[in-house]
Amino acid sequence: MSRDTLVSFEGVVKRFGGFVAVQKLDFEIKKGEFLAIMGSSGCGKTTTLRMLAGLEAPTEGVIRLSGKPINNLPTWSRDTPMVWQSLALFPFLNVRENVEFALKMRGVGKAERRKRAEHWLDRMQISEFSERNISQLSGGQRQRVALARSLVVEPEILLLDEPLSALDAALKVRMQSVLKNLQRETGITFVYVTHSQSEAFSMADRVVIMSRGVIEQIGTPQEIYRTPRTRFVADFLGSSNLFSGKVSASAAGGQDLDTPAGKLRLAKDAVALPAGSTATVTVLDTKTHLSTSRPEPSANAVPVRVIGEEFVGATATLYLETRQGQEIRVQKGHDELADLSLEIGQELFAWWKPEDSHIVAEA
Amino acid sequence: MRRPISLYGLTFSLPLLVWQVLFFVFPLLFLVALSFWTVKNFVMSPDFDTVNWTTMYGRAVFWQAYGTTLAMAAVAAILTSVLAFPAAYAIAFKLSDTARRWAVFLMVIPFFTSYLVRVYSWQIFLSDNGIINVILGWIGLGPYQMLNTVGATMVGYLTLAFPLVVLLQLFSLVFIDRTLIEAAHNLRCGRLRTVFAVVIPSARTGLVIAGLFCFILSFGDFVSPVYLGGGEPTTLSILITDTTKSGQQWPRAAVIALTMIGTLMIVAFAAVKFAYKGKTK
Repeated sequence: MSRDTLVSFEGVVKRFGGFVAVQKLDFEIKKGEFLAIMGSSGCGKTTTLRMLAGLEAPTEGVIRLSGKPINNLPTWSRDTPMVWQSLALFPFLNVRENVEFALKMRGVGKAERRKRAEHWLDRMQISEFSERNISQLSGGQRQRVALARSLVVEPEILLLDEPLSALDAALKVRMQSVLKNLQRETGITFVYVTHSQSEAFSMADRVVIMSRGVIEQIGTPQEIYRTPRTRFVADFLGSSNLFSGKVSASAAGGQDLDTPAGKLRLAKDAVALPAGSTATVTVLDTKTHLSTSRPEPSANAVPVRVIGEEFVGATATLYLETRQGQEIRVQKGHDELADLSLEIGQELFAWWKPEDSHIVAEA
Repeated sequence: MRRPISLYGLTFSLPLLVWQVLFFVFPLLFLVALSFWTVKNFVMSPDFDTVNWTTMYGRAVFWQAYGTTLAMAAVAAILTSVLAFPAAYAIAFKLSDTARRWAVFLMVIPFFTSYLVRVYSWQIFLSDNGIINVILGWIGLGPYQMLNTVGATMVGYLTLAFPLVVLLQLFSLVFIDRTLIEAAHNLRCGRLRTVFAVVIPSARTGLVIAGLFCFILSFGDFVSPVYLGGGEPTTLSILITDTTKSGQQWPRAAVIALTMIGTLMIVAFAAVKFAYKGKTK
């Protein structure tokens, strides 16, 4: 365990009766990082967070905070404040009393409590609402109260459980930058659970992708986006095209993948796989190109047919279909699209450089 | 915007309206009228005389009974609430769903038997040679006088209100947002402290209403103060029966009854206002 590790999960398993929520978690959270745990509902991300907060006890394994095992430490004895999806603000207390709550529980004197609460209310730009009831606040204001309430104790780590899911799109984006700045300025470790890729990728330093209680991949957003490790991650992110087939030796040296869509050359620096084994390669939709004439032989080309398009702001997503009926997506700028002047049903080639594709684990 | 009352809607609400007018408004108005009648030579006659009000309000015994009744009902409300809360809390938070259903069922069972019968059975326990004194005698204690004391009256009030108070508290406790409790724990609020800092404030409305019900039931109760308290000290309900028995003084009894109704209205109004304080929606 390195010196900059704040939390480590060592072989952590959580079962609820016969249901395995989390199976064998092994990962570390670094001091001062913004870590997002992402996955669809039921993947175990919230259970992981709740174990860290002390709201659930691991069935097996050890969770360490600053090197000390905290498995049996009740939540009220750890400093792991959490921001809840429902925010869980106390409706019978006003804004200031909510923020002062944790300080009061720690026996901080009245004057000091007030001073520190006011500092955070000010910092979250909600000091003008300090005497209001929670019911009189807007969603964004409540969000800020919830953050202030957890941060007022200036913890080492802050846990966030999908705190933005109740907000509208515009407010969500604004709160994302508030959170990111807050994390950067305070240096507090943020552990942020979400099912939203855009939230995780825009804020986090590192992202953990979970599925069915196991970690599929940990890495920086760039790493995960460019090189999804497993088929699940590639599918989950939805920004890659996948091709599966059998590995064979290439006539031109290196290895090929025999897929239903044709022979695809594997990247030269790819790990050599035993001939005859099955493998899957992914290629990003932004690295997949289109051409009406057959591309040069060094590129991997697949004949496709246009089946639809969708405009998303500056880029458009083009939906194509191989002869075998596999859907392929391509992201293109509007100018490039205009040059191609495509029509639905038109046949052309989708192509990419072998080095832009990579092999994923078949998990 | 208020919709005008349709004939259709009126048809269905009419029975309730008729019922209310016949059995509540009309008797109440009659009671008000009755309090101004006069009694001469044991004969009541319609009149408009404030003599009953001035006589009753001028008597020390009336105010004594009023004070006693108010104090005893208030003590009963607080005592019952305090004793019922751990039970309601345990049922709400510590039991499984199935066990909770059984507990609710058990709380309903006391209502199967008439309150009067339950109070009589307490006499068997509390009397000088009753069950409790006999058991205490085995270990060389007592006998103590338990029947015909204020304490026995309290036992009666508890018998009357306890199951209802538990149920009312329970219904407010089960609707508490559990994440609020987790959030409090997460902010370093221990178990017991969370009960006072989060659970009770969250369930305030229901807890106050439960206490109010106990107050109302105890304030007007006649059975316990007579059969367990032995009629001492005199409560307003005892005073009413005494007044009607002594010289047909129904108008004076009406004054007591109206005073009780007024008091309950003020208490209920204040309690409800407190219960819903700060809830603007």
